[in-house]
Amino acid sequence: MTHNATLPLPGPGQRPAAEGAIPGGRRGLPRLMPVQPVPVGLGEHLERFGPPPYRDAPRKLIGEVEAAGLTGRGGAAFPTHRKLAAMATGLGPAPVVIGNGAEGEPASNKDKSLLWFSPHLVLDGLQLAAEAVGSVTVGLYVHRNSQLYDRLVAAIAERAAAGLDAAGVELIDAPPRFLAGEESALASRASGGLALPRFKPPRASQRGVAGRRTLVQNVETLAHLALIARYGPGWFRSVGTPDEPGSMLATLHQADGAMSVVETTLGTPIADLLRRPAQAVLVGGYHGAWLPGEQAEVLPLANAALRPLGAAVGAGVLAALPADRCGLAETARVVRYLALESAGQCGPCFNGLPRMAGALAELAGLRPAPQVQADLERWSGLVAGRGACHHPDGTVRLVRSALRVFAAEIGHHAHGYCTGTSSRPFLPLPAEAAIDDEDWR
Amino acid sequence: MSAITHTTALWYASRATGVVSLLLLSLVVILGILVNRQGRLPGLPSFAITGLHRTVSLLAVLFVALHVATAVIDPFVSIGVAAVVIPFVSAYKPLWLGLGAVSLDLVAALIVTSLVRAHLSRRAWRGIHWLAYAAWPLALVHSFMSSPDLRSGGFLVLTAGCTLAVAGAAVWRLASGAREVPRAERAAVTLMRTRGPARASDGGAR
Repeated sequence: MTHNATLPLPGPGQRPAAEGAIPGGRRGLPRLMPVQPVPVGLGEHLERFGPPPYRDAPRKLIGEVEAAGLTGRGGAAFPTHRKLAAMATGLGPAPVVIGNGAEGEPASNKDKSLLWFSPHLVLDGLQLAAEAVGSVTVGLYVHRNSQLYDRLVAAIAERAAAGLDAAGVELIDAPPRFLAGEESALASRASGGLALPRFKPPRASQRGVAGRRTLVQNVETLAHLALIARYGPGWFRSVGTPDEPGSMLATLHQADGAMSVVETTLGTPIADLLRRPAQAVLVGGYHGAWLPGEQAEVLPLANAALRPLGAAVGAGVLAALPADRCGLAETARVVRYLALESAGQCGPCFNGLPRMAGALAELAGLRPAPQVQADLERWSGLVAGRGACHHPDGTVRLVRSALRVFAAEIGHHAHGYCTGTSSRPFLPLPAEAAIDDEDWR
Repeated sequence: MSAITHTTALWYASRATGVVSLLLLSLVVILGILVNRQGRLPGLPSFAITGLHRTVSLLAVLFVALHVATAVIDPFVSIGVAAVVIPFVSAYKPLWLGLGAVSLDLVAALIVTSLVRAHLSRRAWRGIHWLAYAAWPLALVHSFMSSPDLRSGGFLVLTAGCTLAVAGAAVWRLASGAREVPRAERAAVTLMRTRGPARASDGGAR
């Protein structure tokens, strides 16, 4: 079950598509996205869903979220009720609640799409989550300087005027950095500092924004929460798998270059989402893993199936590498980008990742020096687990999967031959890296 | 020169592992300073120095443990188990062995906090790690004053070499603090220094 709804903003490979739309309703899809790709204003939102169903007491919603089995949609798939419960029962002043819409992953567009089409579901979820943990300090963390940002300002003002929000929502500027959405980076930015990851502990849940305990939830998670509060756990579980219930937003990059955001169910076969055969599929984004095309084709989009293979649903990115591209060259481009997105704080990261990027670039060329692959494997072991955040670990996951999946291609390159016939970049990458601390603000 | 017999074997073992411990601990301090300052060693990427620092630390702990165990078990001098961790209670050379005990306690704190580093705040771990700068000189004075071996011949050269190397690293550490690469430029600087096609604009040119 899949519903297609792409953010109609200008950009390469994007198209506003509504094809394949399955009419909505309380059991079917889409749940989060409108049936037609037209943003839902406050009037239409209230007509369809009514005002946020406040429980008028903290904690009440947490049991329902637990029964629903909702997990974080930002990538880690952590059980949402556990974060809520830890926050609701902790000691000290009332916590801060932040909706995370930073989406620094260049291959992902689902959070921006959700905020564009269904901002009020996210804002409902933010209010309900805040009520559940007894918080009245609420923020939404999104990239500034975008059309989306201005619309969110208007949507928040409209809700405030209508008296819908129990807590005022503050918009917090996220810099356009890959790591800006990392929880501790978010907490630092929301405290007025730079969006740089910190060493843990303390986690944001222990000491976050301005030193207060902080609940950070992905915006899609919040939108699901807003629907669970209305229709209940049974409704939420009516799609998806028993272990991974509900629907999810995914960003698809087809082998023909088309990009779309779809709402699908966990457990949907990957073959139903990617229309054409691919030589390899990148699952979970740039901290994710490559899988061989023929293997990905028979797998469902579910962690139960993907995790044993070293992959994960993550934030729902699927990219089908076309047959005419070199997977090593694509990975080298991405790893170079990831290396330059290092926050420059941890030696293994800002020394190790650029070296790995250089080695991958050499491997992507013809007749690389014979020790390059061994270097890469050794460095992978040296940088993994050595950062304040998971940037080195995620990058190593991608590199290791590329060495596995493109092993045959590495052999070809060693003999001076590359199967890629097009050197046109496939995976999307932003152009600019940070040049000074201001780029993290 | 006395011969090694079953009665002197432990004594010799304790002195030998002591010398090796001093060498390894000196190496650990120098590597630690390199890690802290993002320094380089020929043929090693700087992040590999972190791994080396950790591995050599654990190796040093092994030799320190052997050094202490053999010294305590050795019947030639009476030290006592308590004197291993409690300073200045040894019957034999209480002051100089006491400095060794303090150093051992500090090293134990460094190792334990590093093993559970994931559960500590960065600040707490770092604060305790500063103790390394106290542990090493204490170990040096302990070695030098309790063992006449180190005060002459080849071992004196070795001890002086360790002292100069660690002191040199410490001075370099202070001096290099001033010329740091700004955070945002660090990865780009490493990328530029990396040989090969990484310099190409998209890294995948064929």
